[in-house]
Amino acid sequence: MKQFLAFLLFLNFGLSQSVVTLQDSEIEINENEAVVEVLGMVCSMCAFGIGEGFSKTDFVDKTKFNDGVSVDIDAQFVQVGLLKSSDANAEKIVQVIEDAGYDVNQLFILQNEKLTKFSFDKLGILQSMAFNLSSNTGN
Amino acid sequence: MIRTFFAFIFFLSAISAHPVIFKNGKVFWLTQNPSFNDIRFGVSKSSNWLIGGRFLEDRKSNETFALINNNFLAKRWNNRNSQANLYLLSSVGLDTKNSKSMGTIGLHGDWEDRRFMVMQMVEYYSYSSAVVSNTRFAYSPFTVDYSKTSTWLIAHYRVEYSNNKYSYMFFPVVRLFKKNYLVEIGFNQDNSFLSFMTHF
Repeated sequence: MKQFLAFLLFLNFGLSQSVVTLQDSEIEINENEAVVEVLGMVCSMCAFGIGEGFSKTDFVDKTKFNDGVSVDIDAQFVQVGLLKSSDANAEKIVQVIEDAGYDVNQLFILQNEKLTKFSFDKLGILQSMAFNLSSNTGN
Repeated sequence: MIRTFFAFIFFLSAISAHPVIFKNGKVFWLTQNPSFNDIRFGVSKSSNWLIGGRFLEDRKSNETFALINNNFLAKRWNNRNSQANLYLLSSVGLDTKNSKSMGTIGLHGDWEDRRFMVMQMVEYYSYSSAVVSNTRFAYSPFTVDYSKTSTWLIAHYRVEYSNNKYSYMFFPVVRLFKKNYLVEIGFNQDNSFLSFMTHF
């Protein structure tokens, strides 16, 4: 069960960088980035639809990754570069994934030196838990 | 003629791994076999509804059908490393020469992970009162990441019930896809076909 629970390692490389663990994969996350665990993403055509969805938004930093998005089908996650000046939020990111036909299991966003984990509760409501990287304390 | 037409319908239906794609996504595909040329285009208006048009040419009789497809994703189960789907399929259209109408209705279920895929589809054709069952078992000998070519080995099995008679057909198929492009090549002792599909 342990591998199914994402947790934060807090191996900070700096105040704007951290590592999150999804299943067995440790993923480096930088300032203004999101890491999304996607359920059901089993083929490259699935991944293509997710990439297309993000490409049509106004909050993706296309200078990062591959036009703003990196997809790992094996580990079932997507990394997204976020424009610093945008109003990107978890709800918008979840909407892109759901419009592509897939579900978000959990989501991490690192912005303003704050790493926030989002996941759905039993009622399907998105819940968040924030961690301030400068003090390494969870809220 | 009708049997060949059904076989072609089967191939077209089976090449689409997902009859509905991402919201606002478009799908275009071409298929050619010894009997038919076919062009399809569709738009997913949402993540669970795709509508599109199709032109089908019988290469022997030069008959052409114009159809509208309506695919609805009734339920999707997204799980870690796997996905399952239940679709409702329908189409209505005309024979462009005599304007005779025709319609189909079908049920499509599938399950897949990175290595295996199973698919079952049943369709009813109004103009001939035929029922066609299509079954697919697929295996990918290796998994690759998003940027590389994925290979699948597929066994098709088809049963048609029409005019109080059953007919059966088996086809081995190779599927290759990379990013948003898919090609399938299949053959048996009597026929062969080639399909190309892309999402954009």
